[in-house]
Amino acid sequence: MFFLRNKLNFVVVLIFLSSCSSMNVTEENVGSDEVKTVKASSARSENINYDTMAVFANATVYFEFDKSSLTSKSIQTLKSAVNALNENSSINITLSGHADERGTREYNLALGQRRAEAVSDYFVLNGISKNRITVKSFGEEKPVAFGQDETSYSKNRRVEIN
Amino acid sequence: MKKFLLLVCFSGFISSELILEITQGTEDPFRVAIIKFNGDNKAASEIDQIIKNNLMRSGEFKIFDNDDLLSLPKDEDEIVFNDFRILNIDYLIIGNLINESSNIKAEYKVYDIRKGSKVRSSTVFGIPNKNRQLAHYISDGIYEEITGIKGIASTKILYVTQNKDYRLVVADADGKNEQILLESSEPIISPSWSPDSKKVAYVSFETGIAKVFIQDIASGNREVVIENSSQISSPAWSPDGKFLSLTMYQDGNAEIYILNLKNKNLTRLTNHYAIDTESTWSKKGSKIMFTSGRSGSPQLYEINLRKSNARPKRITFEGNYNAKGAYLPNNEGIVFVHRANTSFQIALKYFDENFIRPLTESQMDESPSISPNGNVIVYSIKEEGTGLLSGVTLSGAKFKLPAAEGSVREPAWSGFLR
Repeated sequence: MFFLRNKLNFVVVLIFLSSCSSMNVTEENVGSDEVKTVKASSARSENINYDTMAVFANATVYFEFDKSSLTSKSIQTLKSAVNALNENSSINITLSGHADERGTREYNLALGQRRAEAVSDYFVLNGISKNRITVKSFGEEKPVAFGQDETSYSKNRRVEIN
Repeated sequence: MKKFLLLVCFSGFISSELILEITQGTEDPFRVAIIKFNGDNKAASEIDQIIKNNLMRSGEFKIFDNDDLLSLPKDEDEIVFNDFRILNIDYLIIGNLINESSNIKAEYKVYDIRKGSKVRSSTVFGIPNKNRQLAHYISDGIYEEITGIKGIASTKILYVTQNKDYRLVVADADGKNEQILLESSEPIISPSWSPDSKKVAYVSFETGIAKVFIQDIASGNREVVIENSSQISSPAWSPDGKFLSLTMYQDGNAEIYILNLKNKNLTRLTNHYAIDTESTWSKKGSKIMFTSGRSGSPQLYEINLRKSNARPKRITFEGNYNAKGAYLPNNEGIVFVHRANTSFQIALKYFDENFIRPLTESQMDESPSISPNGNVIVYSIKEEGTGLLSGVTLSGAKFKLPAAEGSVREPAWSGFLR
């Protein structure tokens, strides 16, 4: 850390030169540090659509690290989802994007969003109305696997369709 | 009734304290003798310990205890400067604690041993039951007198903990005196201070999507900054406190906007199909740095706000992951998260150098935040899957603030409070 120390010394010397042979007299009051605790009331009503749940149980697609492009395996999953959506024109879907824990939280939030948008784009390109789709991201905040290894990471880089 | 009792026990158990651990010292410290202050013995012992810990944590001091010294002067008349010169001591501190109704008043003096003279005489008026704060104020006065730099013992650190629930917590800079600002069953991320350190902004998922809130610390009053149905995140205050930069997702992609907090006008700052997020303001407010994926991997960019239609300028080039930048207090450089091979570390880049300096070496280091005096960087690390806070000082001292409970992350350092 010597490189930082040099800069620090420079400042110290300057201040010493300017304050030679004087005595500092100070008086101060300790400030209050009161805090009020707030409890967030979570709108836990997640609007579970049981029709959708029945059709798309376990519909999840997965991604590579720092990528939001669809893999051929994902496209297989999405094809059957498109069919199901066409057969059930009354149901709407929510796409929730997720990332693994590596990298920064905000970048991962944006990455989860991109993944969900990529799935949304696929649906729209295949004739599903955008009005039926809600897109959101949880970034790295809601992992399904908790290990610190590629097996866990690959399960967390996902978009859930429900 | 039983259930109620159980809850009470739990909340006492969870509010854990963070512990300090110095893992590395400095080669050329200031040698300082601190005589335990006169007055109420219990308060004097507590305050003595806090002052010594604060000074030691900076990594810039060697502290001499009563046991190490040849004489223990109680006041100025009793000081024999040669007793301290023999031990090569640079400074001596003596003081008194005086009870005034329910408050404690501290008077302390700093002596320059080589000159054989008093260099500081200070009085701090305490408030009831806040001996820790009183000790922090004394520490900062001593630090400032000796180093010429403002101390940070009386500043605060804001962070997020996750145990069962998520909490937004504020603590003293030594990790003690934890106070909870917000409790939620849904994630809380990206806490940040207003420039006057009276408010905090953060992202809460309590409504089901990411939303930015501003909360007043003392009153607990809070508001959602933009009431609409789209996802909003990554708040950062302008240095004058009038604007908040944010990441908005209304077009489906992360773009940075500037919100005027008074009239709620929004100005778009970025326009690119790649991710743009993690905005932060330079100390004078003339530039905004952010993370962008426009080159194909996350890199840091700057926009000059003084030029109209200024284009983002890329400022990191080493490696394929550089994100969440923070400006050093005098804009001489930045610290950020850098990916080296497979590990994420905190790195420093001075603007007048064309290389980066790694500051940390564990696997998953994130969220660097710089103390207001620029001397310490606090960041989050992971050990066996649990988040802890760690710090590195400019003098080379490293310390950890491990949590007894839950996972701690995303530290944000307040401004000066004293």
